Amino acid sequence: MSDGVVQILVAVAFAAVAAGLAIRLRLGLGREIVVAAVRAVVQLALVGAVIAAVFRFPALSVAFVAAMVVASALTAGSRLRGLRRPRLGAAVAIAPPALVATGVLVLTGAFDATPRAIVPTAGILLGGAMAAATLTGRRMLEGVRDELDAIETRLALGDDVRTALAPVLRTAVVTGLVPAIDQTRSVGLVTLPGTFVGLVLGGASPAEAARTQLVVLLALLLVELVAALLMAEAVSRAATAPGERVVPPPPDGRPRRG
Amino acid sequence: MEPRSAVGLTARDVRLRRDGRLVLDGARLTLLPGTVTALVAPSGAGKSTLLRCLNRLTRADSGTVRLAGRDVATIDPRELRRRVALVVQTPTMLPGTVAENVAYALPRATPGDVEAALRAADLPPAFADRDAAGLSGGERARVAVARALARAPEVLLLDEPTAALDADSAAVIGRTLRRLAEGGLAVCLAVHDLPFARGVADRVVGLDDRELPV
Ligand SMILES: Nc1ncnc2c1ncn2[C@@H]1O[C@H](COP(=O)(O)OP(=O)(O)O)[C@@H](O)[C@H]1O
Ligand SMILES: [Mg+2]
Repeated sequence: MSDGVVQILVAVAFAAVAAGLAIRLRLGLGREIVVAAVRAVVQLALVGAVIAAVFRFPALSVAFVAAMVVASALTAGSRLRGLRRPRLGAAVAIAPPALVATGVLVLTGAFDATPRAIVPTAGILLGGAMAAATLTGRRMLEGVRDELDAIETRLALGDDVRTALAPVLRTAVVTGLVPAIDQTRSVGLVTLPGTFVGLVLGGASPAEAARTQLVVLLALLLVELVAALLMAEAVSRAATAPGERVVPPPPDGRPRRG
Repeated sequence: MEPRSAVGLTARDVRLRRDGRLVLDGARLTLLPGTVTALVAPSGAGKSTLLRCLNRLTRADSGTVRLAGRDVATIDPRELRRRVALVVQTPTMLPGTVAENVAYALPRATPGDVEAALRAADLPPAFADRDAAGLSGGERARVAVARALARAPEVLLLDEPTAALDADSAAVIGRTLRRLAEGGLAVCLAVHDLPFARGVADRVVGLDDRELPV
């Protein structure tokens, strides 16, 4: 058997054992594990083929990055019902910081201006921005609903909406940044992140892999912070009504009144 | 044409529909300086909603609210809410001490100002350093009054100020409100408890601003 076939068989065996265990223990997870594994097989096969094409025709990388932007906006948007235009709000929070950071990394020469560098970098930064924006947005939507009494107390004492929402916004942004900060400070101690593992498995020297990983991790800190702030701003605006009033967005995103 | 009062606060023909239901159907209210007005109506009649319309925490569909003769829609909400202070039924204490609550959003307030506001709400100065999170219901109610008074309002609105209080605490609040009105403040309390209203208020009115028969 070729190396490739062995790899896939071993991987599938892991998922099969996980599914079997879940079914045996009646966790109600068996189906989900199988579906997730099958999706991974199909998605990675497709992505491998597409990326091969992108490497052959560099112009395709623009389309590929655009598709990642759309996918991240759709994914985050589905978790942010309550905003009137959740997918647009997510795209505005996610894409600018991730794409600008990718551009800076390439233009400064930190990373090569090749599809081989640009596509995965944009992917990692978009993924991080998506996670931070989703967490922040959800926490802030909850915060506006759960802490409406405190928010209205501040308004009644003469605050403007921005000041009245500030504590909720701060909590939401902090929540959104926790994974990025934890991942950064525990790197190498608790986890070996994907970039490092991938580069080493692919034959890069450990020093080279570590440097690349460092660039990605530190860039993610800023990208995720900006994405979280942009998302918090979107929720603030959605919760603000004329006349310095706060009206929590309804969970299902229907238009509301105050 | 009705004469426009150049003092106090007036609400005329306030209408508000919510989920297809008329919550306020032409509500009226007149609050004069130096007067305690009790707004008495059954639970669910719209008292809390009307009070929120007076300081624009809620936007009415139609009607006019005037403060010292001026349409409140033309007053900056931040200014309006300092001039028309609202103490809600279950006041929320902000994080921090009582003093921090009283001086909230008042960067120039001195410890003396805080003490004066506490005194006006019949609280001893020693209260200033207490953690606001650890107060009893009656203490919260009075701190909320002190917090409102620290803004030197022209109108003080209280929503069911005695709802969660025992008779003694309610009596203290009642005396506080009378004294504040005697100092020139326009005081309005929304209550469903008629005997308490009669004991404290100069005027006892319904949501149409008409005095209730004795
Ligand atoms: N935010 C809201 N959304 C929908 N209905 C509300 C809201 N607030 C109050 N109501 C309804 O409006 C009516 C009046 O409520 P409220 O002003 O609290 O009356 P009261 O203070 O006299 O008891 C009630 O039927 C209440 O259910
Ligand atoms: Mg009420």
